[in-house]
Amino acid sequence: MVKEECKALLDALNKVTACYRHMVLTIGGTSDSQNLREELKKTRQKAQELAVANRNKLTTVLKDKTVSKEDKAEFERLWVIFSTCLEILEIDMRRALELGHEFPLNVPKKHLIQTGMSGGTSGVAARAMSVQNMKYEAEHNIDVVDLKDLENEINQVGEMMYEMEMKVSVPQWTVEAKQDPGAELKSTISVGASSIGMISVEENKSFCDISKVLAGIIFSAVLIIAIVLAVCVVKLS
Amino acid sequence: MLPRAVVVLGLPPVHSCNTSHPRHALQIEALMMEMQNPDTGIKTQTQKVMITNIPHAVAGNDILQWILQRLQITEEEALHLGDLFVKYGYIYPLQEPKNLTLRTDGSLYRFQTPYFWPAQSWPADDTDYAIYLAKKNIKRKGILEEYEKEHYNMLNQKINYKWDFVIMQAKEQYKAGKERKKEDRYALDCQERAYWLVNRTPPGMLNVLEYGLDRATDPNENKVNQVRQLVCWLVKYSEQFLSNDPILSGCLPSNPWVTDDPDFWDLNAKLVEVPTRTRVERWAFNFSELMRDPKGRQNFQLFLKKEFSGENLSFWEACEDLKYGDQSKVKEKAEEIYKLFLAPGARRWINIDGTTMGITVKGLKHPHRYVLDAAQTHIYMLMKKDSYGRYLKSPVYKEMLAKAVVPQETVKKSSNFPFGRRHLRSSPSPIILRQQEEEAKAKEAATTVDITQVMSKLDPSSPLPEGVSAALGFPGRLCQQPAFPACCLGSWSCRCHFPGTSGMLAVTDLGCSASAPSPHTSEGGMPNGCPELPPEAGQPGHLSLPPAPPGGGMAQGRVKLCRPYPLGSNRPSLEQRWVTPQGAGRGGPPQSASNPSGDVHPPKGCILGTP
Repeated sequence: MVKEECKALLDALNKVTACYRHMVLTIGGTSDSQNLREELKKTRQKAQELAVANRNKLTTVLKDKTVSKEDKAEFERLWVIFSTCLEILEIDMRRALELGHEFPLNVPKKHLIQTGMSGGTSGVAARAMSVQNMKYEAEHNIDVVDLKDLENEINQVGEMMYEMEMKVSVPQWTVEAKQDPGAELKSTISVGASSIGMISVEENKSFCDISKVLAGIIFSAVLIIAIVLAVCVVKLS
Repeated sequence: MLPRAVVVLGLPPVHSCNTSHPRHALQIEALMMEMQNPDTGIKTQTQKVMITNIPHAVAGNDILQWILQRLQITEEEALHLGDLFVKYGYIYPLQEPKNLTLRTDGSLYRFQTPYFWPAQSWPADDTDYAIYLAKKNIKRKGILEEYEKEHYNMLNQKINYKWDFVIMQAKEQYKAGKERKKEDRYALDCQERAYWLVNRTPPGMLNVLEYGLDRATDPNENKVNQVRQLVCWLVKYSEQFLSNDPILSGCLPSNPWVTDDPDFWDLNAKLVEVPTRTRVERWAFNFSELMRDPKGRQNFQLFLKKEFSGENLSFWEACEDLKYGDQSKVKEKAEEIYKLFLAPGARRWINIDGTTMGITVKGLKHPHRYVLDAAQTHIYMLMKKDSYGRYLKSPVYKEMLAKAVVPQETVKKSSNFPFGRRHLRSSPSPIILRQQEEEAKAKEAATTVDITQVMSKLDPSSPLPEGVSAALGFPGRLCQQPAFPACCLGSWSCRCHFPGTSGMLAVTDLGCSASAPSPHTSEGGMPNGCPELPPEAGQPGHLSLPPAPPGGGMAQGRVKLCRPYPLGSNRPSLEQRWVTPQGAGRGGPPQSASNPSGDVHPPKGCILGTP
């Protein structure tokens, strides 16, 4: 039971971290906007809550002496995943701070980098917050105002990580990964054909072209034969 | 690395709250932002990919023109600068992703998102790379390039403990990506790919980041102090050695290569009798200059003998021989050195501290070239700090300085063969020089070995005190054994005390039997006179053992060593002095060593006991 709960919490944190990374990638680009900054703020706050929850749960379990050896190993593995996730989150938060300073949104002289993005990140944010649609209620200068909060939160996360290291001593290198290399391929991810097609097309352009052309030729040939036959039938009858 | 154009941009410094970006990178970023200006920036086009359009593509030529116009530099510089933008990943090519150059034809480029801009404080992380590869694996269903597969496997081993996280995160990032527009997803993929092409270069591509952003030191740091110190030292060195420089200060008597007069070589031979003045002055510059010059070492050894620490220099020279000599004889040489200098109770025991001794003895179990390095350094520093200072003020050095010759400058001889080729003489061949050295050494060894061998054949029952043979064979040396008091130098009759049955010399049958030219018997059972060694006056380090004095009036049990007193001369005042075993190099006025004329002063520390 406890294991499942821990896993669920960790998955949630993982998801939020991934979404946060997506959003930080967009700062400074053409998809950047006040909405994005608000999304960033909400996402990282959620991430922090999840992190605290994870930490509490895992520390209680790891301090528990009545846990069996296999369970303990499993919890240590989860702990390593958790601390790595937290590291990545902290790095992304720091970068968000830096980029936020570099790209304030309301300064007319500072132009956003034309990165080729045109859409927004609301879908990603909704996924992170586990809601259907995002609501935007922040002020119009959130990009500047938020940076102070961000700094504080970075310090908080830093402190939390330090405390974690001090209180729980799990040597990271003793943990063995459960997944083999290449395990991601066996997962049941429904791969969108269009996205794959678009990207792989660029590499295999020539192949697709040829196969498409062939298909087209055959199809049109069959069509022509059918038409000819129909005309003959009509004519002869 | 960056053309100077960037430095003279004159852009206002971009305010950054942290110092993760050195100044020149900030200027590039400012340029990047300027390029985005809808009025003055670069015009963008749309890239057609299959059925969709992705905006914000720029042509290479447009980039070049914009740089030219904005920075007012030459086309070559602008091209180079633009090329650097692409190489470092600020701009990435769309049609040939792996070709990170700026092409001025219609090839399209796009700006990289600021997260992926190169920055010193955000190096490309292995974990991120692993996540990227896993994502690519998912997208391409396992089709990775060869080098990527290698990296994948390597990372799997390297950060295996994080691997579960890597997989989880890769899946989540992939899923999150699907929440975005198709075009955005495509652009994102291009961005990521470009970033990793710069930061994890495929084999065969130039890795621009190799010695660039990964520097540990700040290139803008002020290094003036270090440079100043270096320059000061260089100036001091040049000034000091100016007089010794044959090119800058001319050489006396004349440059052999110019005047064909080999006097210069003869006067500056390795162990010439009387060295030149500049050479002797050079010894005073620093200790290493003294040690470099064989004549200097010889003179220094003379001084050290007076201070009874000649074994230091001998040990140092023996170590040098071990290091640079015939390596097939390393074992024997090391053993000999140990027996002679290092063993407890050795003949010429050197004074090094316990730790070094311990290390050395341990190392000697498996001797090699450098086994005595620690001890050698210790002795070197001892000589440098202790004896060198006194040496420079000593009469030995001053005498040498006074004796030193200043050769007259000779005029260039007029050519006797105006039409023929002059046959110039060459400098002394090193081979011949070395042969001469070897001969001299062998001769020296032959003359001194006699005594020691002879001594070792003495009374086998009583262990031969090393000090005696040392005294015979190596003048200027006192036996520095803790238990043994000082023994004699060659020139005086003395008595050595040895702990033994009788407090007197057990070496009564001093085997001075080899080649005794004047075989007169000394009383008290002394054997025939001491062998006569060719008195090599003026050569320090050689014991001259003239025959025993006729009727020397030696009492029983006295060691009669060498030097007869010329009849009628005064006997030396018999001073009784004890020398502490570690007394070498400390205290006491240096005395002149073996003086062939029978100086009245006994060497310090010699026990001249009245019977």
